[in-house]
Amino acid sequence: MSVAAMRLQPMTLQFRRVPGPLLAQIEAALAPHGQPLRWAITAVKPGLAGSCPLLTLEAVVLA
Amino acid sequence: MTASRPLPTLLVIPTGIGCELGGYAGDGLPAARLLAAASGCLITHPNVMNGASLYWSDSRIHYVEGSALDRFATAAIGLRPVRRQRLGLLLDAGIEAELRWRHLQVAEGCRASLGLEIGPVVTTEAPLEVSLCQGGSGASWGQLGRPELLLRAGQILKAAGATAIAVVTRFPEDNSSEALAAYRQGSGVDCLAGAEAVISHLLSRELGLPCAHAPALSPLPLDPGLDPRAAGEELGYTFLACVLVGLSRAPDLVPLRPEAPGSELLSAAGADLLRIEDVGAVVAPAGALGGAAVLACAERGIPVIAVRNPCVLNVSAAALGLEVLAAESYAAAAGLLVALREGISPFALVRPLQRLNMISADMPSGAGESNSGRGQRRDDTPPRAPC
Repeated sequence: MSVAAMRLQPMTLQFRRVPGPLLAQIEAALAPHGQPLRWAITAVKPGLAGSCPLLTLEAVVLA
Repeated sequence: MTASRPLPTLLVIPTGIGCELGGYAGDGLPAARLLAAASGCLITHPNVMNGASLYWSDSRIHYVEGSALDRFATAAIGLRPVRRQRLGLLLDAGIEAELRWRHLQVAEGCRASLGLEIGPVVTTEAPLEVSLCQGGSGASWGQLGRPELLLRAGQILKAAGATAIAVVTRFPEDNSSEALAAYRQGSGVDCLAGAEAVISHLLSRELGLPCAHAPALSPLPLDPGLDPRAAGEELGYTFLACVLVGLSRAPDLVPLRPEAPGSELLSAAGADLLRIEDVGAVVAPAGALGGAAVLACAERGIPVIAVRNPCVLNVSAAALGLEVLAAESYAAAAGLLVALREGISPFALVRPLQRLNMISADMPSGAGESNSGRGQRRDDTPPRAPC
């Protein structure tokens, strides 16, 4: 990414966790939006009837 | 405290989420000092260590900017202790003349009184346009209107020989805001912290150098009811002294992947190089376990000590399906670190003591679980399967 075109984009997104390591799932969820600069899981909503939990991420990405 | 060799430990108290301990002006420092004594080697970030005019220097504590801490935890970089860094000072062109002089005089004072190596100083071509915001969770965030100018100034400092960068940007002010009043009374989120983290993350990530940030703000009117935890920020004209002291002995960031820029440092790093494989524990607030460093450590099987430290988030071990050692306080966390350092099972220190888990020799591999291992849940809430 050229320095001149760099833009910071705050965002909130939700995704449903699947079994397996979580870090890779978060990186995959953020990747379409840009390079993650800072992120955190800020909420977890339990899944209903055995389904996977819904995670809320707040992030700033380089777009 | 103990004759055993150090147990390198990560201490994370995330920025801008209103942690009861560590969410204010360097009020995580006493806990960091305690955990450094318990572990013999503590790796932590500026939010824990920075108290504006107040700071503490301890050779057992490694001062590592938050995004570098995340990269360390994911094995992208190692940390090489140094005797000193040459600090470049990066100033936002949006800082007014008088406030700029105040910052330059802090840098001069740190040179004269503390013997730090500081310079050169670079000012950005135009104001960086910092803005603040709050996420839906209540955590503070922020951004920069002109990130390219920040990076250009950082690149100039690096080319001029700076090995670490202290950055000062002009922050917007609203002295009548309810959020600021709550923070000063000890009941709110640090509204500046999220933007500070974004600025230092961008600079450190792009330049590969230790970086830390101080906001430039006008002094606030006296508040006799000021919470002691916020007092460190009201002693002087700037927040810069702690940043300069912290960075002055911050470890070098050494890329561990051969293709990464700067990886030539790896061959010269020697036996001093700290890697994530050396880390024996990570300590974090029990409700803020959803950050990169903690998750990376948990996925590596590094014991996670989850400390009761209320904040605006409730991302707990139970919610994430993590196995943790629970601690009611940082004093209790220090006890757990000493146990781990001495090779004492933390589970032998609590009652009731569970019986040995017997598995049958004809049971399929992985069907039984030992309860003598590290990293099991002890936080009295039932584990929730991730799915």
